[in-house]
Amino acid sequence: MQARNTSMSTSTNPNLGGNKDQVAAIEVRNLTVSYGPVPALLDVSLSIAPGQLVGVIGPNGSGKSTLLKSLLGFVKPDFGDVELFGEDADQAKGRVAYVPQRGSVDWDFPVTVGEVALMGRYGKQRWWRDISAEDREIADYALEQVRMSEFRDRQIGQLSGGQQQRVFMARAIAQGSEILLLDEPFAGVDAATERAILDVLETTREAGRTLVVVHHDLTTASEYFDSLILLKQRLFAHGTPAQVLHPELLSEVYEGKLRVFAHLPAAEHSEDGQRGTTND
Amino acid sequence: MVSGVQPMTSTYQWLVEVHQANPYLIKALLTGLLVTTVCSVIGCYIVLRRTSFLADALSHSMLAGVVGGYLVMKILFNQEAHALGMLVGSIASGIFTVAIIGYVSRKSRVKDDAVIGVMYTGIFALGGVLASRFSEYVHVDVYHFVIGSILGVSDSDLKMMALVTIVVLTFVILAFRQLQLISFDRVMAASIGVNVVLIDYMLTTCTAMVVVTGVQVVGIIQVVGLLIAPGATAYLLCDRLKNMIWVSILFGWSGFLIGYYLSEQLNVSPGGMIVVVSTGQFLLVFLVAPRYGLLAGLQRRWRAIPQQLIEDILGVILRAENEQATAAGIAQRIECRVERIRKAVESLRRQEWLQVDDDIISLTDEGRQHARRLLRAHRLWESYLQHLGVAEEELHDRAHVLEHVHDEDTVDYLDDKLGHPLMDPHGAEIPEDFVHLVPGEEVRVAILREGHRGEVVRVLTANTGGLELGMQLVVGPREDDSQMWVVTVMDQNSMQGVVRLNHAQADSVIVKLQPSA
Repeated sequence: MQARNTSMSTSTNPNLGGNKDQVAAIEVRNLTVSYGPVPALLDVSLSIAPGQLVGVIGPNGSGKSTLLKSLLGFVKPDFGDVELFGEDADQAKGRVAYVPQRGSVDWDFPVTVGEVALMGRYGKQRWWRDISAEDREIADYALEQVRMSEFRDRQIGQLSGGQQQRVFMARAIAQGSEILLLDEPFAGVDAATERAILDVLETTREAGRTLVVVHHDLTTASEYFDSLILLKQRLFAHGTPAQVLHPELLSEVYEGKLRVFAHLPAAEHSEDGQRGTTND
Repeated sequence: MVSGVQPMTSTYQWLVEVHQANPYLIKALLTGLLVTTVCSVIGCYIVLRRTSFLADALSHSMLAGVVGGYLVMKILFNQEAHALGMLVGSIASGIFTVAIIGYVSRKSRVKDDAVIGVMYTGIFALGGVLASRFSEYVHVDVYHFVIGSILGVSDSDLKMMALVTIVVLTFVILAFRQLQLISFDRVMAASIGVNVVLIDYMLTTCTAMVVVTGVQVVGIIQVVGLLIAPGATAYLLCDRLKNMIWVSILFGWSGFLIGYYLSEQLNVSPGGMIVVVSTGQFLLVFLVAPRYGLLAGLQRRWRAIPQQLIEDILGVILRAENEQATAAGIAQRIECRVERIRKAVESLRRQEWLQVDDDIISLTDEGRQHARRLLRAHRLWESYLQHLGVAEEELHDRAHVLEHVHDEDTVDYLDDKLGHPLMDPHGAEIPEDFVHLVPGEEVRVAILREGHRGEVVRVLTANTGGLELGMQLVVGPREDDSQMWVVTVMDQNSMQGVVRLNHAQADSVIVKLQPSA
């Protein structure tokens, strides 16, 4: 607890948890996971400092979702371990909040915005016990944080794309999780929604939470994330977007399955990977 | 049959009398209400989890379980028609069927609908084969199971139903949140430590128990209707799971009571009539449900005013003299019925884009903003089409179609590609880029118009025509057929010099816009 609190305030440097006095939000050591002769993840080690917005990129089948599952404690690794704030991942059930892919949610489900946020508290009570007033308050507060309070009684299908994402962020916040895992939040949304979702991610990050986001679109990756993880079974790179989005590195990982990125900002940018502030 | 009852008689007396006169009737009523209650509750989960076909499989597999349970009790304990034995047998065969369907569809490439079809018909047929092979031991009336008979319910059946009702309702009440979560988001459920597989199997067990009771009323073939029709009906009306369950129970009861009553009146099979009424209820609600109903959808579509019409109306008013028009005038311009225009104008007035004074329609500030945005899109599209060599006489009509594509990025793209023109091909002014031209915004010099002023805050390339960070500028009229931007560099309000920029240079200088003098 102590360590977590101190680490939250010192999280502005994108230095990937290298500081010795800081407990990493996520610490993966030599993780190998397999479902057969071909490993889904091979000897992956990485450390993510609290308060970062991290993108996970890599071609299809590169182990991105296996990495998420490992962080959730869903898969048993063949070797290696995962620690969240210094605690073993399978001990830390519920400490990591999973935000589902938009396509996998049944938006017609008879459930309101308020009820989805409240689901974040379900893990806190024994299953036969009622939800407490305090749980309700926490859920309400989470909705407030993502500016969705006024939609509390709205069925979730009657929201815009950005609002739908915010509801699930509220659920994750209500869960009290310091770490949020998002599976392709930008898949299949229009530009305005993409912007709206990014806003939510950034506000959540500013509140000190750590976000790990599976992402597909390399052209926006440098703009959206503090740091990137480039996976293909092995960890190919983990660093600032400028370090990771290197044309040679990408062509090695994607094996030419990628069209030319004439305009990858990383290619033309400074070594320290500072993000350009241009916005037109 | 109950016609002799006086209206003044108390309900209790009525019950007693009816019971004395027709003991089977009260039992049938009680049976029906218990069964429809649990069916309607579990049915909601089946509807939401899209497992109707699986429930169908479960109901058919029951026959094998009944025969199996009968045989075991008969052979091992010499008990004839042991109700509990048959119940346990049916539940076991139900769970076995669900489990094997799950296993086979996981392990084979055959998709689960086909696996369900193969497995349940097989198990159902096995039940039939067993029943006829051991017909000397097993006195099971297969027809009774297929069609159901609410009037043939025994006291022990009724006790069993009461037990099932208690067990199922207790489970649903206690595990409400878990059931909601695994139906809605299994991954999240698992991530907070819910035992997804256990809850799944408990729900399957409940479904099997409920199906066993339902079969008594309507039979194997029709039980799925009893199970899911009320839930499906409620689903069309409710936005919360709890409400859906309550409403589902009400539809279950009404389907049963009305169906049962009609079956007495028409002297037909009660099971069939109950399912017919339940389906009828569903269709009726599908038609008239306030939000998710067919009529509501049609009405919404009928009431909706096409975007294109709205944009045409705004455009006509903006171009009209004094920016004023009448409904009739607009109708004439865009060749549309006056009533349609009036309806659209009314909705735009409510949106506060238009104001209507007597018959005169004019734009509000917000409406004008939208209209100008459209006008800008229209004139840019016209310029673009001319640029591509489209014939003069086609320009307007084709731009009229294209102007409805007017999102910010598209318009910005056209503007930039055409070199930020000031006039359209007919010599009309193209409205400025008012989306970006707001004091305080940082914008490229290229989109500025005469009179704009600002401070250079960033340069994107070295090719700036001599402009530097921190310079104050005022934009003058363009030169060279609008291809050359002319800016005056100011210092403490005194002129320092004039700089001429081409498109590329004007694009690479960013100024922070100040309010125009």
